[in-house]
Amino acid sequence: MNEFISAGLIGVSLGAQYALLALGFTLIFGILGVVNFAHGGFYVAGGYIAYGFVSHLGVPYVIAVLLATLATGAIGYLFELFLVERIVEDHLATLMLTLGLYLTMSTGVLVAFGPESPQFQFPISGSLQIGKFHLPIENIVVLSICLLAIATVYLLMYKTDFGRALRALADDRQVAAAQGLRPRLLFPLAFGVACGLAGLTGALVTPILSLAPHVGDPVLATSFLIVILGGLGSIGGATIAAFLVGLVEAYSSVYLGGSKGALALFVLVLIVLVVRPSGLFGREVRGA
Amino acid sequence: MKGTSQHFRKSAIGGLVLGLTGFLAGYAQAACELKLGVVGTLSGPAAQWGLALKGAVDLVAAEYNAEGGVPVGSEKCRVAVSAFDGKYTAEGAAAGANALVSQGVKFIIGPIGSPEMTGLKPIAARNNLLVMGNGYAKNAIGPQWPLVFHNGPGPSGWADPIVKVAKAKFGIKKVVVVAPNDQGGTDIASVDAVAYKNNGIEAIEEYYQRGTSNFQPIVTRIINMQPDAVDTASSPPGDTGTMAKQLRQAGFQGPIGHLGGPGTEEIARIAGGIDVLKTFYWYEPIVVDEKIQELAAAYKKAFNTDRPESNLFFQWVGAARMVVKAISKAGTITDTQKVAEALRSLPVEDPNLGKGLWIGQEFFGINQELSFPFGIGTIIDGKMQPIVKQPAATGK
Repeated sequence: MNEFISAGLIGVSLGAQYALLALGFTLIFGILGVVNFAHGGFYVAGGYIAYGFVSHLGVPYVIAVLLATLATGAIGYLFELFLVERIVEDHLATLMLTLGLYLTMSTGVLVAFGPESPQFQFPISGSLQIGKFHLPIENIVVLSICLLAIATVYLLMYKTDFGRALRALADDRQVAAAQGLRPRLLFPLAFGVACGLAGLTGALVTPILSLAPHVGDPVLATSFLIVILGGLGSIGGATIAAFLVGLVEAYSSVYLGGSKGALALFVLVLIVLVVRPSGLFGREVRGA
Repeated sequence: MKGTSQHFRKSAIGGLVLGLTGFLAGYAQAACELKLGVVGTLSGPAAQWGLALKGAVDLVAAEYNAEGGVPVGSEKCRVAVSAFDGKYTAEGAAAGANALVSQGVKFIIGPIGSPEMTGLKPIAARNNLLVMGNGYAKNAIGPQWPLVFHNGPGPSGWADPIVKVAKAKFGIKKVVVVAPNDQGGTDIASVDAVAYKNNGIEAIEEYYQRGTSNFQPIVTRIINMQPDAVDTASSPPGDTGTMAKQLRQAGFQGPIGHLGGPGTEEIARIAGGIDVLKTFYWYEPIVVDEKIQELAAAYKKAFNTDRPESNLFFQWVGAARMVVKAISKAGTITDTQKVAEALRSLPVEDPNLGKGLWIGQEFFGINQELSFPFGIGTIIDGKMQPIVKQPAATGK
């Protein structure tokens, strides 16, 4: 029973981190129709920017996380404004462009910081012991921030004019534009918010795992898997799928082992896609 | 006057011919270049190991070039190094080998890991390349690859003596050996597990998907097995550091081993310091004494920067020197068969690493594995202990 509860807690914690990543990924696809292959790069950039502020400039970790979020958001904003926007209608070109950005970012980090992992630790350490459980405090803090960030994204998307405008553009760009909404103004902002979410996750998660130039690779794969499972472009689908993946990963790894656990996850995704090819909550996201 | 003119013309032509001959001879001498290829992991979680390899080959090239080149027959050949990132993958190493072949490389130092060795060997066999590699896979070398050598013994050579020390120091009765689920993990973890079992320790093998970044679920599974120790075998330093941190956070108090490769400094950095590692034991390929430190000083002098962090650097210096010595002895920079024969006949000896052995016959079926004295590293109660020197592994 202890094992079961422990795996559940790990699954929720993983799910929250995955949700934060997947939300950014699905926002960009849902609103712009762009598959952002640079998403893992923004995760890595978030981690290294926070590390740079903390280790080289002595900035407190909390401020460094905020700065990393803003910096990655700004990079995303500028990238969309000056590069993606020109070819936003060409899906293949945007795919290659974002892939190129990812390679540039990861190589840039490699050149600037070297290939080895630096010492980047979460400022709070220790574990809460409840019976036989050991719950790392840093995981609880990261889980809380992730949940808060997810709630903020929901408020932004469903309770503000900005969110309503973005969702209108996602539903039907031409009709929304005819109503006076300006994609050239809103798309860079949406891209910036999504990249900021990836940067925030990187700044929060890399100190509790590890930071290295390559850590964006599995992030991209996981985000992609979650977004496909939840339904491309669906914010609610991505969130639910993220927690589902986190729980499946935790339970299958604990009870079946690391190899079979990974297999179980992919089999689950395969079954879901056979039964529902558009994902759990998928729909026609781009009417135009 | 005419005779003088003709004489002058003949002298001028003769001078030109002589000059041209001398120029061509000089050109031929300058053109003698020994290309050493390097295929190693230069990025990713195991980059530390690849950087050690590249740094070592760079140093050996610099040593010979400072002397005017490697004596090969009547010539002296300058040494050039061409490196390629194998990314710890079979396809990366195969791409690297192909790229080096296209550059005319006949000798490859590296690669680092079993997946890279697996990918590189077919390319090497097809192009008659001589390879001095370092995969710990069960088929890393063998009679079917007579031009492939091993720069140091794998766990078949050193796991048994380390397990004996760990058992005596920590009283281990049950261990979980955890590693990635590819050949680079399974071939090492299974040999480690046999070494534990041969020493009366119950060993359970546990594997994870390479690329895993959060080990909490696997750590939970391991803890539920209630082992006395966890051996991370050939898990890269990045993975081992995260696992060690999460094992300690989950309340695991026992020793953590890393019988697969060095990288303790990086492991400690990721885990949060050696006090977090608390009790730790590992295979150290080289014991750094005064003679070894001379290599670090030589590197600093040659490149004006510190030598690569991993102590595999020293082991690779010994291996690269052996290959270049064999090239010199064979008197050819193209005939790899002849160089391999020369290499097999060379005594294992290095001015800095000391005397060693050729081993591998018993485990691999071919005596092409270099074995120098090695060390056992331990951290006890969060304090680094002196590395204990062991004689060169015999592989028996």
